[in-house]
Amino acid sequence: MSMQSPSQDIADLIARCALRDRAAFRSLYERTSAKLFGVTLRILRDRSEAEEAIQEVYVKIWQRADRYVAGGTSPISWLVAVARNHSLDILRARRPVSDDIDVALEIPDAGPTPERATEDSQERSRIDTCLATLEPDRAEAVRGAYLDGYSYDELAQRFEVPLNTMRTWLRRSLIKLRECLTA
Amino acid sequence: MTSSDHSDDPSGGQNALVAEYVLGLLDSAEHQRVGRLIEADPALRAERDFWVNRFAALNTQFEEVAVPGHLLARIEARAFGDAAKPAPARLWDSLMLWRSVAAGALAVAVVAVGFSAFQPTPTSSALAVQLVAALEQEGSDVKFVALYDGATGMVRLTALSGEAIPDRDFELWAIQGDNKPVSMGVIPVNARSAIGLSPEIAAGWGEGSILAITLEPKGGAPDGDPTGPVVAKGAVTPI
Repeated sequence: MSMQSPSQDIADLIARCALRDRAAFRSLYERTSAKLFGVTLRILRDRSEAEEAIQEVYVKIWQRADRYVAGGTSPISWLVAVARNHSLDILRARRPVSDDIDVALEIPDAGPTPERATEDSQERSRIDTCLATLEPDRAEAVRGAYLDGYSYDELAQRFEVPLNTMRTWLRRSLIKLRECLTA
Repeated sequence: MTSSDHSDDPSGGQNALVAEYVLGLLDSAEHQRVGRLIEADPALRAERDFWVNRFAALNTQFEEVAVPGHLLARIEARAFGDAAKPAPARLWDSLMLWRSVAAGALAVAVVAVGFSAFQPTPTSSALAVQLVAALEQEGSDVKFVALYDGATGMVRLTALSGEAIPDRDFELWAIQGDNKPVSMGVIPVNARSAIGLSPEIAAGWGEGSILAITLEPKGGAPDGDPTGPVVAKGAVTPI
């Protein structure tokens, strides 16, 4: 009988959390907390805030375990997304609200169907390959947004370009990235 | 900025918007609005999952850092503490129910029933005035529901959404007519609270009184006047 993949183990632990299994929650915490703490620490850049955030993240995971849908995203990606989104929410709440509330969002044209979840490792080279098709500073800006939670303002400052230029860069880069990722 | 930013390439623009959402580049109001649209639309959810999965390949670059050992006990106390609440509290806490309160007046009636059903109130209170207010504000994810029960003279507050912000506090204000806001004190985000009306507020209290929540320095506005942005507000209505 073959061993379960680590990913399947994590998925099982999340499912058991949804059934209010406290031992499973503790196992999940032991297996994943160092990774998620790395996320909150990197994005919040403040140890005490990151410690507060990691507590809130695991309370959320316990409360929302039933929302994890296997097949949508890999279990560890889902956990990282909870930690990352929570950290970004904290940053976002501090930022001034702009007037950008009139952007139209319609249903995308039926393009290539997004595939089901795959293991992170299999995707790794693909995103790197596609980021490499962008100009280096634009690829860095995309990485900075994802890994460091930089806002458009912060990116514009770091790359010393006007805010609108940064928005245009990023949006075009994301469209190009999508084309490459679905090619 | 404006819709024209996305209009030059309709499908590409929309796809970039979901990617911007996933990256966290949108401001608070826009982030919430796009999030709601995504939740409501399977095609957009698939698009979101696409980006989450693809960017997840970068997760290897988040270094693992051991969490201080004492935090697990605190996390378990917070997580399991909530789960252990008795059934009536769960009705009060039910996010779906409370979200629907904020959504519209129809739900207010439902809440009135739910509220009184587990509230052991004396029969005389059936005649006492009851008021409800849904507190929210465009561009803010802070939402509260306030219920005033004339029998007890207390305003009970429950947060529907919103996160505590480090080193800041939320402060509740009553605004009546043209008078300046009167503080009702600092309120917690993660717990229900009950606040009595001060004589000053009670004097003008009733339908049309406005409750507002502002973001203030820790401990509340220093001079008794609001200093921070209004993150939620609403008028009280009889139920």
